Amino acid sequence: MFTFRVIWMALRGLQTNMMRSLLATLGVVIGVCAVVSAMSILEGAKKDITKRFESMGADQVMVVSGSSRGRRGVQTRTNALELKDAEAILDQCDLVKAVAPEIQNAAQIKYFQKNKGVQILGTTDAYYRINEYETVEGRFIRREDVRGERKVCVLGHKVAKDLFGEVSAVGYRVKIKGTGFTVVGVMEKKGFLGFREVDNQVIVPISTAMKRLYGVRFVTMITCQAKNPSNLSAAITQIKRTLRSQHSIRAGTDDDFTVFTQEQAKKQVADVTQIFEVVLYSIAGISLLVGGIGIMNIMLVSVTERTREIGVRIAVGARRVDIMTQFLIEAAVISMIGGAVGVLVGVGLSALLERITRVLETYTPPSAIVYALVMAAGVGIVSGLYPAIRASKLDPVEALRYE
Amino acid sequence: MLIQVRDLSKVYQMGAEVVRALDGVSLDVDAGEFLSITGASGSGKSTFMHLLGCLDKPTSGTYHLNDRDVTQMSDKELARIRNREIGFVFQTFNLINRTPAIDNVAVPLVYGRETFTNKKAMDALERVQLGKRAKHKPSEMSGGERQRVAIARAIVNNPKVIFADEPTGNLDTRTGEQIMGIFHDLHKEGTTIILVTHEMSVAAQAKRLIRMVDGVVDTDTPITPSLRNEMLHSGMFGASVLTDSGVSGGTESGVSGVTDSGSTVAAEPGVS
Repeated sequence: MFTFRVIWMALRGLQTNMMRSLLATLGVVIGVCAVVSAMSILEGAKKDITKRFESMGADQVMVVSGSSRGRRGVQTRTNALELKDAEAILDQCDLVKAVAPEIQNAAQIKYFQKNKGVQILGTTDAYYRINEYETVEGRFIRREDVRGERKVCVLGHKVAKDLFGEVSAVGYRVKIKGTGFTVVGVMEKKGFLGFREVDNQVIVPISTAMKRLYGVRFVTMITCQAKNPSNLSAAITQIKRTLRSQHSIRAGTDDDFTVFTQEQAKKQVADVTQIFEVVLYSIAGISLLVGGIGIMNIMLVSVTERTREIGVRIAVGARRVDIMTQFLIEAAVISMIGGAVGVLVGVGLSALLERITRVLETYTPPSAIVYALVMAAGVGIVSGLYPAIRASKLDPVEALRYE
Repeated sequence: MLIQVRDLSKVYQMGAEVVRALDGVSLDVDAGEFLSITGASGSGKSTFMHLLGCLDKPTSGTYHLNDRDVTQMSDKELARIRNREIGFVFQTFNLINRTPAIDNVAVPLVYGRETFTNKKAMDALERVQLGKRAKHKPSEMSGGERQRVAIARAIVNNPKVIFADEPTGNLDTRTGEQIMGIFHDLHKEGTTIILVTHEMSVAAQAKRLIRMVDGVVDTDTPITPSLRNEMLHSGMFGASVLTDSGVSGGTESGVSGVTDSGSTVAAEPGVS
C-alpha cells in the first residue's frame, strides 16, 4: 500500500515536471536504447548464422584446403584437394555415407537477351541428398552427367524465375561463359544453404565445371555426410587419416587441409560475436552511467525543491526510512520510464535498421526487454541513493522553515 | 497529565555565540486544555512548540507526553508519536500542491503502517466542511480552505493534541475567525489545542495563556473573561496587560503595541 502510494505520488510529480524529467532521463533512454538495439542486432545475427549452420546439417563434415594451424588462420588459397580425394574418402571411410566435392565460381548465364550474374556450383549427384535440397522440375545432376562431363545444368529457383518467368525451363538451352548447356532441372526455393544463397546458383556436373568452364585441378570443398551423426568425431578421424595418406603427409607434419563441422563453425561465430557483445555493452554501460548522473542531478533538484514537503512528511509521522524509500522509488520510476522509452526506441531502431540495410536481421528477445528495464531501475536506485539519503537526513524544523 | 515538562532547555551554537533558545521551561498541560503560547519573535515559543511536537530534541530537561519520557525515544518511536498522537497546523499551510486535498489529508495515513482507505481522510475533510472539495488541488483553493485541509490532515488520525503555529497568520480576520471556530469545535470534542501565536486577539480565544520572554515562561495564567477582554483590545503582545496591570487589570487599555514587523498598531480605546 505504502509503495503503491509512493509510486503514484512519483508519477504525479513526473507529470508536473514533464519536460525536466524527460531531459533527465535522456541518458537512460539512450543507454537502454543502445542495449536493446545492440542485443537485437546481435541476437538477430546469431539467429541468422545459426539458421544457416543448421541448414548444413549436424551430420556433415566439411573439408577445405589449407591448414588451420597457421598464424593467419585457414588458408583456403592453398590448393590441395582434388577430385580423387573425394573418391578416396567415400571408398576408405566406412563411417561416411556420402561425399560431395564442390567447386564454386561466379559466371554470367545467358538466355537469349537475358543476362544474369550467378554462382556456378560444380558438384555431383550426392549434393542434393546430403543437403536435402530437391528439384521442383526435371531432375538433378546424375552420376552419368559427371562421368560424361555433360553440358547440363540445374537452375536455382531465382535464376529460373529471372530467365524464364513462369515458363518451365527444362529442356531449354542456356549459355554459361559462352558454352551452351541444357537445363535439366530447376531447384526448389531454399534461400540459404550454409552461407550460400542457393536460389541464385546454377549447378553443373563438377567434371564439366573443372575442365570446360574453369580449367582447374582442385576442388573448393568436399562435403562428407556421416552415417551416424553421433559418431561424427570417429568419421572425422577416418577422413583425416585418408586425406593424410592421400597427400602423403609425414607424421609430425601439419595437415594441408582443414576439417570442420557445424558445431565448430558455430563456436567460432560465437567467439566473434562475443567480442562485439563486449564492445556494444561497454558503450551501453557508459551511456547508462551518464544516465545515472542525469537522474541523480534531477533528484537532487527535486529534494531541494521539496524541502518543505519533506518537513511536513516528517512532521506527520514519516520515518527517515520512509522519506528515503520515497525518493528511491521516485528515482527508480523515473529511470524505468526512461528505460521503457529506451526499449521502444531501441526496438524501433533495430526494425528500421533491418528495413534500411535489408541484410541485417534483428531479433529482440523478451529477456532483453526485461534485462533493460531491470537495469534502468537499478541505475535509478543507485543514482537516487545519495539524494534520498540527503532527503532523509533533513532536520524537520529547518525543512519546515525553508523558503 | 498529558504534557509534563521539567526544566526543558534548548541551546544552539551559532558560530562563536551560544543561543539559549529555551532556558529551563517547566509546564504541565492536562488533556483537553486549550492554551495559547505567545511571545515576541525570538522569545522561544517556536522552539518550545517544536520540542513539544517531537520535531526536535531538547539539550536538557525532561518531557513526558502521556506519561512516557519522549526525550529518551528513538527517531522511529518519535515518528510514531507524531503520526498517532500529534497533529500540526502551520501558518503557511504546508500542503503538497500537486496532489488533491484528499491525498494531502491522507499523508499521515500513508505513514500509519496499516492498510487504509480514503474513508478516514474523507471523514476528516467532512469535519472541516470540505467534503465537496476533496478532489481539488490546494492551488485551486482559498487560503481559508487550504488551512481547513491542513487541519483535516492534522486530525485524520484523531490525535490527542494539536499544535497550531500561527494558524491565522496568513488569513484575513474573518477567515481567521472561521479557522478559530474549528479549533473551538475540536476543543469541545476533547482534543487538546496548543496555539502558538503573537496575536493577542487570537491568543485570547484560548482558556490558558503562556507568555514567553527570552526562553522562559514569563506568565502562565487562565484566561478569565476580563483578561480576554483586555487582550482583545491590547494589541500584539499584551505586554502592558500582563506585566503592568496584572491579570485582573483593565486600566491600561489604549496603549499601542509593536508588531513583529515593527509597525505600530494603535489599539482601540478600552471598552470597559
